[in-house]
Amino acid sequence: MPEALSSVVTMTAMTREVRSPWSEFWRKFKKQHIAMAALAFVVLLTLIAILAPYLAPFDPENFFDYDRLNEGSSLVHWLGVDSLGRDILSRIIWGARISLTAGFVSVAIGLVVGTALGLLAGYYEGWWDRIIMRLCDALFAFPGILLAIGIIAILGSGMANVVVAVAVFSIPTFARLVRGNTLMLKHLTYIEAARSIGASDWTIVMRHIFPGTISSVVVYFSMRIGTSIITAASLSFLGMGAQPPTPEWGAMLDAARSDMLVAPHVAIFPALAIFVTVLAFNLLGDGLRDALDPKIERG
Amino acid sequence: MKISQLWAISSIVLAMGVSGTALAGKDVTMAVASTFTTMDPYDANDTLSQAVDKSFYEGLFGFDKDMKLIPVLALSYEVDSSGLVYTLKLRKGVKFHDGTDFKADSVKASFDRATNPANKLKRYNLYKNIAKTEAIDDDTVRFTLKEPFSAFINQLAHPSGAIISKAALEKYGKDIMFHPVGTGAFKFVEWKPTDYLKVAKFDAYWKKGYPKVDSILWRPVVDNNTRAAMMQTGEAQFTFPVPYEVADVLKKKSDLDVIAAPSIVVRYLSMNMRQKPFDNPKVREAVNYAINRDALVKVAFSGYAIPADGIVPDGVDYSVRFTPWKQDIAKAKKLLAEAGYPNGFETELWSAYNHTTAQKVSQFLQQQLQQVGIKAKVVMLEAGQRVERVESYADAKTAPVRLYYVGWSSSTGEADWAISPLLASDAWPPRLFNTAYYKSDKVDAGLKAALLTTDRAEKARIYREVQEELWKDMPWAPLVVEKLLYAKNKKLQGVYVMPDASFHFDEIDLMP
Repeated sequence: MPEALSSVVTMTAMTREVRSPWSEFWRKFKKQHIAMAALAFVVLLTLIAILAPYLAPFDPENFFDYDRLNEGSSLVHWLGVDSLGRDILSRIIWGARISLTAGFVSVAIGLVVGTALGLLAGYYEGWWDRIIMRLCDALFAFPGILLAIGIIAILGSGMANVVVAVAVFSIPTFARLVRGNTLMLKHLTYIEAARSIGASDWTIVMRHIFPGTISSVVVYFSMRIGTSIITAASLSFLGMGAQPPTPEWGAMLDAARSDMLVAPHVAIFPALAIFVTVLAFNLLGDGLRDALDPKIERG
Repeated sequence: MKISQLWAISSIVLAMGVSGTALAGKDVTMAVASTFTTMDPYDANDTLSQAVDKSFYEGLFGFDKDMKLIPVLALSYEVDSSGLVYTLKLRKGVKFHDGTDFKADSVKASFDRATNPANKLKRYNLYKNIAKTEAIDDDTVRFTLKEPFSAFINQLAHPSGAIISKAALEKYGKDIMFHPVGTGAFKFVEWKPTDYLKVAKFDAYWKKGYPKVDSILWRPVVDNNTRAAMMQTGEAQFTFPVPYEVADVLKKKSDLDVIAAPSIVVRYLSMNMRQKPFDNPKVREAVNYAINRDALVKVAFSGYAIPADGIVPDGVDYSVRFTPWKQDIAKAKKLLAEAGYPNGFETELWSAYNHTTAQKVSQFLQQQLQQVGIKAKVVMLEAGQRVERVESYADAKTAPVRLYYVGWSSSTGEADWAISPLLASDAWPPRLFNTAYYKSDKVDAGLKAALLTTDRAEKARIYREVQEELWKDMPWAPLVVEKLLYAKNKKLQGVYVMPDASFHFDEIDLMP
């Protein structure tokens, strides 16, 4: 019996080796229906954002119909009209562009900088490690939104500065994550092997350690986008991000506050847009984690 | 924003405690939009504090609910031929809350205090023209002015011109702001600055049969929606202002009256005439033609405003009516082309306020200007930025303000205070609020001449010429005259919001 079992194990191991990491990942990922739905939504949203000029039925800022102020859904205006006579659907479609860009770009900046710092700290340790990690600790000490507000207070309000602010508070998490992975990987045999044949630090870090950190970075990246979108929207809601009449979702919510009692749809639709988008990114992140984590084997 | 909501919530909780201990009787709760700055009317700059101070203070003259001048503690006045000496007869049989009699000595003490620069009172500017105040006998007082000023009685009627008990002034000195002692219908009970101000019926009030209620609780509640909710639950019997957007919601409650009162609050867009392109009258005319005021009233004010039909709003003495500007996009574009801007231009539109209505107005104006090719970047200024970038900016040549959305109400109820601070050439920032940096010798001369004459017909003629000149020169795009929206419980009677956003509650009563 033990012999038979061990042969089965060898068999599976052999069939697995045939699969590329990519197809292995896809095999696991597509089994998760919720994550697949989230992925489909994110792809759709991205397409909407890219094609916004062709999809939006009206100009988001300069179309106005003063005879339909605060009017609910109709055939002409599917999601109704806001208090300044603008088409809410068009504004949400254009807003997708702003929110996705803000979310993606800010986390991408955080990822690049954070990963570089994490690799440095993890690989060299010593003073590099101490300085970088203490800086990260300092940043961690602030609640995220407070740090972002502080940065906006220094840089001034505006969407570009919101991206910077959100990026800054993404940096330490990426740095810490990558550092941890690096510390673990650099003591593995294959790294020792690479070093023993005389590979330079640069080659070891970039060719052998960095690829090993990618899966956790990707998972964290997708989950972080959701948080960043919500932070950017919050900052706009507080009047520090996108300025009127920019159709940013948070700014739309802020503008809707005064009319909420008489025209709830003015607030509901942008709020739904934020909610569904952030939920989709978080579910996608969960799915990615499950698919990329070798410890989890399902079905 | 968040902090104000916190305050609102905590003050509701406190109010519950307060109303729980109140005795059965005619007790009225009035919810207003901000905290009171002081209980000393001579040191208050805001309309609200002055309005509330009327609970316990009265002036020699006052305004009725329509802002018509009426005698209060004075009975009559005479001016001598030089226009410098005003002699007033005072009302007899009036008592202060501290039991002392109202006599000429208290009038003298009040105005001697106000006109002494060493006291550093905020309203010193309003009364600095008084050279001396003399008590001729108990019932006669004489003011001598430094320069003739024909709107002097209006100044005495300004809500800051309260008569304070001489005995109390001597007793409390600077602390009089915490211990107000006047002749008003209510005497001061307690003031907790963030929570409430409580006043109670003064039994020895000189007007027999008044006041008709036992007490008033003034409650500052910053959040608009919280105030509206207090009206719906019956926790407050009066609230001002009601946000335009919730007016319809409150109207549906059968026990509430929502009232849109006429105001003298004019909203306008000033254009910096020292800077290109607004130095060109054709550009200013184009801006005026670009804006649809009727639509603005609908979009930003939910219908609770009227398109501006003058520089000085109706209801202010000596104001003149003009035909409001009608939108004409084609004409505006033609004017811009003639001025050398066939493709329009880029500029900035600053709003003096950052509340919701101002946000709507600014975005609306942005949309309207866009239609004729003027691309305006909207900047909502907070109070600090407004002071720094506009009101206290020292150099007229480099002043960064271009299009500026702001408003004004003349609390003296006459034309001088409605024009001089905004359009006289010596009112450029940082001195006063001429944000258009307008300068016209004709207007300056007219404003000076009007103050020197005491003849009403002559004054009316001068002010008409001044306003015609201003309407022609277009330093502003006049926008709307706001209506004041307030709500009261149907049981509450005799409370009005006056055209300058002050309150009139001499007749306040609570029906069973």
